[in-house]
Amino acid sequence: MRQSLILLLVLVAQTPAAQVLQLQQADATVTLDGESTRDTVSLPYHWDRRHGGQAGLAEFQLQFDLDPLPNEPYGIYLPRLGNAYAIWLNGQLLQREGNLQQGNGADFAKAPRYVDIVPGLLQHHNRLQVRIRADVGRRGGLAPITVGPEHAVRALYQQDFTWRISGSAVVAIANLLVALMALALWATQVDNSGPGRPRRDPLYLFAGLAELAWTLRVADAVIEHPFVDWPWWGILTITALTVWVCSMILFCVEVANWRQLDAMSWLRRWMALMVVLSPPAAYMAMVSGIPMALTLLYAALAITAFAFLTQFLIQTRAATLQHRIVATAILLNIGIGVRDLVAFRLSDSYGGNTWMRYSSLMFGLALAYIVLSRLHQATTQARDLLTHMEERVASKEAELQLLYPRMEQLARDHERAAERSRILRDMHDGVGSHISTAIRQLQNGKASQDDILHTLRDALDQLKLSIDAMHLPPGDVGALLANIRYRLESRIQACGVELQWDVEELAPISRLDTNAMGQLQFMLFEAFSNVLQHAHATMLRVAAVPHGPGSHGLLLQIIDNGVGYDPTVSKRNGLRSMQQRAQAIGVELRLVSEPGRSMVEITAY
Amino acid sequence: MWRVLVVEDDPDMREFFASSVSRCVALELAASLGTFAEARDWLGQDPKRIDVLLTDLGLPDGSGLDLIRLVLRLHPYCEPLVISMFGDEDNVLASIEAGALGYIHKDSTPDDIAQTILDMLGGASPISPMIARRVLTKYRSQLADPAPASAPAPQSGAAAAPAGTARQLLSPREQEVLALIARGFSYSEVARLQTVTVHTVRTHIKNLYAKLSVHSKTEAVFEATRMGLLSPHS
Repeated sequence: MRQSLILLLVLVAQTPAAQVLQLQQADATVTLDGESTRDTVSLPYHWDRRHGGQAGLAEFQLQFDLDPLPNEPYGIYLPRLGNAYAIWLNGQLLQREGNLQQGNGADFAKAPRYVDIVPGLLQHHNRLQVRIRADVGRRGGLAPITVGPEHAVRALYQQDFTWRISGSAVVAIANLLVALMALALWATQVDNSGPGRPRRDPLYLFAGLAELAWTLRVADAVIEHPFVDWPWWGILTITALTVWVCSMILFCVEVANWRQLDAMSWLRRWMALMVVLSPPAAYMAMVSGIPMALTLLYAALAITAFAFLTQFLIQTRAATLQHRIVATAILLNIGIGVRDLVAFRLSDSYGGNTWMRYSSLMFGLALAYIVLSRLHQATTQARDLLTHMEERVASKEAELQLLYPRMEQLARDHERAAERSRILRDMHDGVGSHISTAIRQLQNGKASQDDILHTLRDALDQLKLSIDAMHLPPGDVGALLANIRYRLESRIQACGVELQWDVEELAPISRLDTNAMGQLQFMLFEAFSNVLQHAHATMLRVAAVPHGPGSHGLLLQIIDNGVGYDPTVSKRNGLRSMQQRAQAIGVELRLVSEPGRSMVEITAY
Repeated sequence: MWRVLVVEDDPDMREFFASSVSRCVALELAASLGTFAEARDWLGQDPKRIDVLLTDLGLPDGSGLDLIRLVLRLHPYCEPLVISMFGDEDNVLASIEAGALGYIHKDSTPDDIAQTILDMLGGASPISPMIARRVLTKYRSQLADPAPASAPAPQSGAAAAPAGTARQLLSPREQEVLALIARGFSYSEVARLQTVTVHTVRTHIKNLYAKLSVHSKTEAVFEATRMGLLSPHS
């Protein structure tokens, strides 16, 4: 159907060489459900406002005159048209995007368009024909068209493209980075210090989800080929909006530190319900033709957000700096939101994009501040902790320094007590025993002077040996033997006994401590003393060799050629004492005796 | 004739030593005193030389070690001998460091004293296995750990000083002799095992005494000269 053409020429800029024309009125043929109507319309032609809930086709005829004919290249700038379209000039197809027959596909109504006019195509009287296919709720339609010299018109187009498409892309990428950073923080910043499961900070999660949802919303402005067909893509973007609002509210809860309040658990459930209800509400509005469902959802969201944000802003006075910063961002966005509302809903601004996509970056900056301030706080805490730890370490060191001398004193006291106890025992068993024997010998008058002298010499020798034992290296039986010989040498010579010394180099036996060495010294002294006092021997042989596995032990033999004794029936105190001492220190003692050869054999490992 | 000064606080013991020295034709009793103060005064008044000092370590008013040092300052060529009840390691080492030539046990038989003095003057300084072992142990540990080599040997302490001095001085043969004595062998057995004479063994031991002394005779002479106690020509 053809209608008469009405041409309205508005001179935007005019130079002697060229003129820029804005075409704002068109003869439109609109086809809805197979029925066409024809009318003269003003541009912008906002499809959703004129045919809400219906998809359809429209053809716009626009005419303009040029006099004189320009001799420079011309172009056409279309701020918005679609969702699919085709453009003809003077009967020649200039540009075509999308499927004009099949709806709900790719959306080409998002970006501004620029069309070069083929040289020679322009005439004095020109006819511009624009055909569109519009889907439901996709901001289809046609914005006022600008025709003019290429340099002027392209500049307008490029400025529009930069703001709407490049700007949106930059904002989307920035939002995505902030979202990923927040989610990464949420995933990695795990608090293991408390009891129970490791805890993550929900502030980062909600910030991440909000930014991710907003990224989708902003990116939608530049995505002509969505991942899924319309209306599913629309449902997804509506859900993203709900997720953004709910996440922002919960993010504010964390910022204000209201997490522990009882009301917040209800708020969280309410938000979750909103998100869950979003897809069905959007479906009902976009597919089932019940726009009330989405209106109700938006109303619920708006009321919740309004109530919450009012409270959030009221509480700002006595709040933390991060709370105030977020509140400022909210206020700014509310202001921008009001401007967008006026621009898109109350007035008829069809061509542009919302400003809120840019102002929402404030939330990203607020989050960056929160992260930085927390990092600063954590660093300060760590430094304080370190300082505190250093102080504690220093204090502990000081305590230890005080403690060490005390412990050393205790160890010395213990050592002294052990030494004293050993000396007392030595005095009791050795010197004391011999002196009491000497006294007894003197009292009963039966002993000879030699016997008494012998007993007293034994006492003095025992005393010397006890003093020497204080310096004996633990386990060094070689030193022990050498020392006994040194102490008894004069007595051996006095008895006229020939001493055969056959002592090899002996490795120390580590398990024989000072006490055991004292016991062994007593045993050896007893053995020597017995030979010198009772055996009437002329020869005494002392042999000591390494013995046992790895030669770590020793075999010690004291052999004499004296009269001998019966070791099995002997009740002499000395022999019994030797057996007891051997048993106490875990060495083997073997006594072999017959006239002419007696042997005391000691084996130690 | 060796002039002997006896300093012993126990009157019986002092008399016992004094008579033992007096009976010996090779020895002359210079004096028999009971305290450190008496000895110091006597030394200040008596201009004659002293060849042998026989002193108890535990004097009532001072240490026998101090007396040895005093005598050596005045009579650098005097041979100090220490009377010790036990001949224990710490006291013997301290005496050797102070410059003693040897030590005598209090329970030695009467005839022994004068003969023992003569033996020691003749080079028969005694050394117990315990002391031999201790000197060797220190010597070997310092060989294994050469760090203190550049540091001056400590001048006090019974164990560190002799070992520190011994470190640079002990010859391999002296070490072998010490090792055998530490295992309990007598001088004669050591001589047999080393295929040397007993006299050689005694020389080793006497040399060892000199080396272990903190102030060698040469140092004592130098010090006495410096202090004006001894003329350079005497």
